[in-house]
Amino acid sequence: MSESALLSRRLVVVTGKGGTGKSTVSAALALAAARRGKKVLVCEVVARERVADFFGKPPSGTRIRELLPNLYSVHVRPREAMREYALMTIKFETLYKIAFENPAARYFLAAAPSLAEIVMLGKVWWHAAHDTERGRLRWDLVILDAPATGHGLTFLTVPEVFLRLVNEGPLARDMHGMQSLLADPKQCSVCVVTLPEEMPANEAIELDAALRQHGFPPGPLFLNAYFASRFTPQELAQVTRGGPLLLAAGEAADNHESRAALSAHYEGVLRNAVQRPILPVPFFFERSFGAQAIDKVAHAIESAL
Amino acid sequence: MKPLLEVLRGRRVICCVGSGGVGKTTTAAAIALREAMDGKRTLVLTIDPARRLANSLGLHEMGNEETRIDPAMFANAGLTPRGEMWAMMLDLKHTWDELVRRQARTPQQAEAILANKLYQTLSTAMAGSLEYMAMEKVYEVHSSRRFDVVVLDTPPTSNALDFLHAASRILDVLDNNAMKLVLGPMMKAGKFGLKLLAAPSGLVLRTLARFTGSDFLRDLTGFMMAFEGMYEGFKDRATRVKALLTSRDAAFVLVTSPQPLTIQEALFFHKALADDGIQTAAVIVNRVQRDPRRHGGPDNLPALREALQLAQIKDAGAPPLSDRLCQTLTDQAALADLDRREVERLRTTLHGVPLFSVPRLRKDVHDLAGLWQIDGYLGENGGD
Ligand SMILES: Nc1ncnc2c1ncn2[C@@H]1O[C@H](COP(=O)(O)OP(=O)(O)OP(=O)(O)O)[C@@H](O)[C@H]1O
Ligand SMILES: Nc1ncnc2c1ncn2[C@@H]1O[C@H](COP(=O)(O)OP(=O)(O)OP(=O)(O)O)[C@@H](O)[C@H]1O
Ligand SMILES: [Mg+2]
Ligand SMILES: [Mg+2]
Repeated sequence: MSESALLSRRLVVVTGKGGTGKSTVSAALALAAARRGKKVLVCEVVARERVADFFGKPPSGTRIRELLPNLYSVHVRPREAMREYALMTIKFETLYKIAFENPAARYFLAAAPSLAEIVMLGKVWWHAAHDTERGRLRWDLVILDAPATGHGLTFLTVPEVFLRLVNEGPLARDMHGMQSLLADPKQCSVCVVTLPEEMPANEAIELDAALRQHGFPPGPLFLNAYFASRFTPQELAQVTRGGPLLLAAGEAADNHESRAALSAHYEGVLRNAVQRPILPVPFFFERSFGAQAIDKVAHAIESAL
Repeated sequence: MKPLLEVLRGRRVICCVGSGGVGKTTTAAAIALREAMDGKRTLVLTIDPARRLANSLGLHEMGNEETRIDPAMFANAGLTPRGEMWAMMLDLKHTWDELVRRQARTPQQAEAILANKLYQTLSTAMAGSLEYMAMEKVYEVHSSRRFDVVVLDTPPTSNALDFLHAASRILDVLDNNAMKLVLGPMMKAGKFGLKLLAAPSGLVLRTLARFTGSDFLRDLTGFMMAFEGMYEGFKDRATRVKALLTSRDAAFVLVTSPQPLTIQEALFFHKALADDGIQTAAVIVNRVQRDPRRHGGPDNLPALREALQLAQIKDAGAPPLSDRLCQTLTDQAALADLDRREVERLRTTLHGVPLFSVPRLRKDVHDLAGLWQIDGYLGENGGD
């Protein structure tokens, strides 16, 4: 898949193990798309929002905010999403208050864990498919910075699970809508982010299989924090045995090559096991991981295609 | 500085907590190994260990099986433990089912709950469920007195509060008076009928049903009916679990990486523990970049060129070897500087809490030899 194809989807979902770089990749994809003149919204469905901070901006919170020209973000949280969504479904504020702003309903939200996910996914879906401005969709591209693996899968399959339990009511109708957007390869891609390490790589392999099994259109696998080899084995051998003057340089080179070897190893493992394009994103040695780093990641992604 | 083993002396339950991927499982296993070497009969209760580590410890399946680490494996790693090391992989569903069976008043009640569709989803899907069951299991093993020391690995909870309050949050769901009030008529009738929805008191229900469909409400009612009368038992037990974790028998070891965001979370964790009256026994900063410059020697381009010449190594390639070496040294020195700054920040903030710094090893830690290498940094030097 080419990147331009990826960025011309309506909805791009980014998931993967915790801490692998989902927010980084989401921000970089958004930046790449915004630079091509697309109007992009990043929806962060996680405990703590991260993307605005990458661009040196204060957290967006649950209100959509512009971070850069054409690039917006919003933090999707269950309570606010619930309210927005329930109001759309129920229409009457007072009725909403009676039904939802009482202790019973709070309980209800906790007891039906998927309800939180439903309303959050519902909000993302609405921005991707129904949020219009003067008759046109407001966003060219919505990027969903999704929860980590296990929870991420639960999150994306929530319509499927819900429809198995409930098949009536307005919610069920919307679930069908979400499901068909999430299954349409013309409109949606689900990307995976991982690292060249054992657990993240294994988790990515399992996640890839699970995502395909559920029929989510496969986007690329981003192999993040990749170390490319810098020294030939001969050079490394010479330098590490180069005497006291080269002790520091030798250790640094050896460290680098051991991480490069892991990168190459897990790249091989992933290429064998995963049925989607693999896109290495280099490790960037940044003093603080901000706009500059995201820019580098965006360039790396753009040129890898 | 006291070695970690000394810091933890006398503690019978050791919980390794921290953010995702920082090395909780590795550390928990390393501590269990250290205690076993010291003559204890130890159990490490792991949650989702890396496959290679699990394999190398001889852990093949879940299902709460206590497995003794084969003495031959120790011999292979050149280790002679004076005690025993055992390991177990936590099985979430299994632990829940065990708990329900133990707490149910009658076998019929247990079966009714186990068969409930909502229980099946809720028990494994509810946020905090894994945390709750991990604590439950540790309590059970501890009470059985089968081991001198139990080391608990914990799930990758991003929020400390989730961890400590998992039990009460979940129990709240099982017994919520407000909801009982709403569902009351249904629970009495034992079934969900349209008539009930039509009743004036059914406004809330009606609205909720409009939102989710009525099937869900029916399952929910069934679930709450099945749980009737069991709540007290659950709550009692959860209170005892918490009492154990806040007692002198237990110790919390906070594991973190040197990344600023993770450190921030670690500090948050520390505070949340303190709010619950729990003192962090030790902090382990794991996978710290070692500074290659500690060896001294040339680190700038002209000096490196000269050093290569002296060592009679050809400065060839494109870019030349000296350039690449210089770049690599600079990169790693930068990472080491960042890590050092963060470790110091943490040390200052957590003033007085023993802190151990474990370097990033060249390879993953996937066997006893690797764990033993980690233990080498938990001694009196604190890894420095
Ligand atoms: N290519 C890279 N090179 C160097 N560091 C990186 C790279 N990508 C990510 N990082 C570092 O990893 C950190 C975590 O990345 P990020 O927040 O994107 O992960 P995440 O998967 O969204 O995490 P979470 O699961 O907590 O949401 C970043 O703040 C950055 O410091
Ligand atoms: N000091 C170290 N040097 C090199 N690799 C390490 C070190 N500590 C841990 N690792 C490796 O890092 C990976 C993650 O460690 P581990 O599984 O212990 O983390 P965790 O906190 O339990 O993760 P999770 O939150 O996902 O359960 C493992 O592959 C482990 O081998
Ligand atoms: Mg993130
Ligand atoms: Mg673990």
